[in-house]
Amino acid sequence: MKTPSDEELMLNVRDGDLAAFEQIVLRHQGQAWRVAYRFTGDAAEAEDLAQEAFLRILDAAGRYEPTATFGAYFYRVLTRLCIDYRRKKRPIPSDSVLLRADGEASPAELAEQRDHQRRIQAALDALPADYRVAVVLRYFEGLNATEMSEAMGKSIKAVERLLARAREALEPRLRHLLEE
Amino acid sequence: MRCETVQDNLIAFARGDSPPDERSAMEAHLRGCPTCRLALGEVDPIAATLVRGQTPPVPGGFAARVMAAARRGQATEAFVGWNPLRWWRLTSTPLRAAAAAVLVVGLTVGLVMGWTSMPSPAQAPVAAQADPLEVYHLDYLGDAPAESLTDSYLALVSGHNGEGR
Repeated sequence: MKTPSDEELMLNVRDGDLAAFEQIVLRHQGQAWRVAYRFTGDAAEAEDLAQEAFLRILDAAGRYEPTATFGAYFYRVLTRLCIDYRRKKRPIPSDSVLLRADGEASPAELAEQRDHQRRIQAALDALPADYRVAVVLRYFEGLNATEMSEAMGKSIKAVERLLARAREALEPRLRHLLEE
Repeated sequence: MRCETVQDNLIAFARGDSPPDERSAMEAHLRGCPTCRLALGEVDPIAATLVRGQTPPVPGGFAARVMAAARRGQATEAFVGWNPLRWWRLTSTPLRAAAAAVLVVGLTVGLVMGWTSMPSPAQAPVAAQADPLEVYHLDYLGDAPAESLTDSYLALVSGHNGEGR
């Protein structure tokens, strides 16, 4: 049986199919979590943000039209939520840094990884919201300029300018890591 | 993934042009390979630094919590009752058009029926000439029988009970 595309699932969600919505959640939970975590730096906030993104998708399902890919549409919902989140509250740097379980790393290596993560997150925390979104979409989600343009609702030129400014802002903050 | 393959694709990786599977494999390699990371640093220093940033996995039970919240939202909406504004927002355009047409037709029929049932101006003077006593049955306010309770009450409140009170 052919696997339904995201757009087909969303048309079913538009008709009130909650099981189709669950499929959307299972397919895109990783994407939502990654963007939210990288943007907030805090696991609890990230889960709230990611959950809110899905609930907004469900809330707006009645008006859904597949004019763009679902991926681009979902990124747009996520990025808007991230930017609104940043406007409402200043991020509180989290001392707890989550790492992937790595059974092979020694305690010293784990400590080094944790320190590295903390410094990366601190550098991201200091960026304005739209710079931060651009960095997360390019460097953590691997989107190219066209995909970022669709996700952020900006022209490709505007996205490239934003990314260039974000790099300029990040470089001094990450210089000590770049030299390691 | 071999270093040679990774280094051949660093530019596409830095620009976000790598397919998702290839990107994941390159990220995994770059995290553990300082040589390839150095090569990436020549292309994009920021990419070389951030590629070491690991995002933790999705928390366990995340999808179940989202679905529970979604079902709670739907149950709350059913309990509170139909919200016409929310219905309008969530409904598709053809259904909105049909609902608007039904509303317009209903209002028009109601207005026409109301208009045709209004009394004509010629009938108004006849109502004005009717005897109020006949119309409103006010004859119970006429003279009460002598020595009745009503007669006594009326005498009391009017101060004419023969005793000047």
